[in-house]
Amino acid sequence: MRSRAGARRRREIGLAYVLLAPAVVLLVVVLAYPLAWEVWASFTSLSPLQDGGPAFVGLENYRLQLASPQFWLAAAVTVAHAVVTTAAKLAIGMGFALLLARPFRGRALVFLAIFLPWAYPASVSVIGWYWTLSPPITTSYSVFMGNLKNAVDGALGSGAWAFLSVTLFNVWRGSSFIGVLLLAGINAVPPELFEYATLECGSAWQRFWSVTVPLLRPFLALGVFLSLTTGFADLANVWMLTAGRIVFPVIGTQAYWLAIGGGEFGPASALSLLLVPFLLAALLVLFRLLDGPDRAPA
Amino acid sequence: MKAGARWRFWHRALVGLAVVYCLFPIYFVLVQSLKTAQEDVFGYPLIVLHPTLENFEELFVPSGQPRGFVGTVLHRSYPFFVWLENTIVVFTGTVALTLGTALAAAYALGRLRPPGYRWWRRAIFATYVIPQTILFVPLYHVVNALGLDDNLLVLVLVYPTTALPFCVWMLSTYFQHLPREIEEAALLEGAGRATAFFRILLPLSRPVLVAAGIFTLGTIASDFTIASVFLLSDINQTIPAGLGTMEVALDELLAVAGINLMAIPIVLISACFARGYVRGLTAAMVEGA
Repeated sequence: MRSRAGARRRREIGLAYVLLAPAVVLLVVVLAYPLAWEVWASFTSLSPLQDGGPAFVGLENYRLQLASPQFWLAAAVTVAHAVVTTAAKLAIGMGFALLLARPFRGRALVFLAIFLPWAYPASVSVIGWYWTLSPPITTSYSVFMGNLKNAVDGALGSGAWAFLSVTLFNVWRGSSFIGVLLLAGINAVPPELFEYATLECGSAWQRFWSVTVPLLRPFLALGVFLSLTTGFADLANVWMLTAGRIVFPVIGTQAYWLAIGGGEFGPASALSLLLVPFLLAALLVLFRLLDGPDRAPA
Repeated sequence: MKAGARWRFWHRALVGLAVVYCLFPIYFVLVQSLKTAQEDVFGYPLIVLHPTLENFEELFVPSGQPRGFVGTVLHRSYPFFVWLENTIVVFTGTVALTLGTALAAAYALGRLRPPGYRWWRRAIFATYVIPQTILFVPLYHVVNALGLDDNLLVLVLVYPTTALPFCVWMLSTYFQHLPREIEEAALLEGAGRATAFFRILLPLSRPVLVAAGIFTLGTIASDFTIASVFLLSDINQTIPAGLGTMEVALDELLAVAGINLMAIPIVLISACFARGYVRGLTAAMVEGA
């Protein structure tokens, strides 16, 4: 009996690996070689503009990056951008979720409106958004937008408006995603729990921090993580769209600029890999919150 | 009672604000696409007085044909119909491939649970940490080695990796939280594993599958970079890659119409499944839902 169960379990495990294979092969084919290449390139002087093969330079690329003031500026802007956009998305998204938490007339339509910014394909809306906010053309709104652009650029330096407009777009889209995610979280909480909390807690503010936020913790963590890893995509899209004309002072576009503009693959790889430890740390926090041992039963 | 009335007022005001904030950019782009060239320059920014569909019609003019009074000198025509076909092929292929591989992997991790299944799941999810910045440079080597340069299949191969980790995560936690007895009963009655999966597990997980599908569609529909890096000749491009090559100063209205043509079907599909999307997210994240 025992051996039959053992054989069955072995067959199950074998089947599990077979079923796991397509997903793993897909990820490995697309990601493993590029990642290995990037790590290798970051230790060499690889460049298509240079004669002869790449030389091994050890940690030189990393050292040069860490020693340059440009890197620290880019790092500061990247962190500020990530913190500000993520906080804004969480705040607005939480607002959406709370607005939709209780039934009211027209709730289904309001939900749909809040869902749309994320569902609206960003690949094309970023094109529309960018042209709207920085119109190079004689449209009826270009005077207004041009004045706005000049005012912001004048106050904060050239290129500020382009950066700000893409950031606004990112928040607009991300707050919709996080709003829907948090709504899914609120739907998972039995209404009696909120009713009980209303009786127990003094103020709505207190109730929000001591009941709603802890209950939504896994959803919040997931939203923050996905916002951190995908937040850069909009900037990348605009960078491609304008053929690198606009270099945002963040690590990602600087890496592009080094790699595509200057052919310096080594430093560019080192630059983009410097982000990995921070994202890994965020990931570990996420795993702890998602299925850690201390997850409180709801 | 007075407090209730005040609460309702603020709730309504905030809901109104949220709806305007969410819909205004979409409305604005839609309005621009309905304008004539005349109104685009001299009209009001926020409204259209004489709506026209001519921008949409012009998108479908076969390439090579002179267009309007400027002829072929200034205006290029675009193979928009081909872009549309390409986009449909890529998106359908990607969603199918992503859901298929994610379902298989999720069944393995959530039901069969090989040793270390949690770590498999975490490892798959951890691929999100890989910085996408200049990844397309070495990816080009892979694409060339596979002989897929300037081929739509590139996108079908690359796109799933952006949505697959989250889909595997959602589906496998959902499967894991379903009680074992659900399948066991069918297995005891002599049904095979495959039958039990297709007859019992799959129908049960419909909302989560919808959520995974909508997440995949939303994720791949937001990519502009990969499409424009790998699809070079215009007959191989998808709509985003193609629109990116348009001359903005001359073809602004056409491009805006193109944006709407791509966005409207995707928005409609997503809207149909919007409620299922929320239900699926809830079910995936909560034990035994």
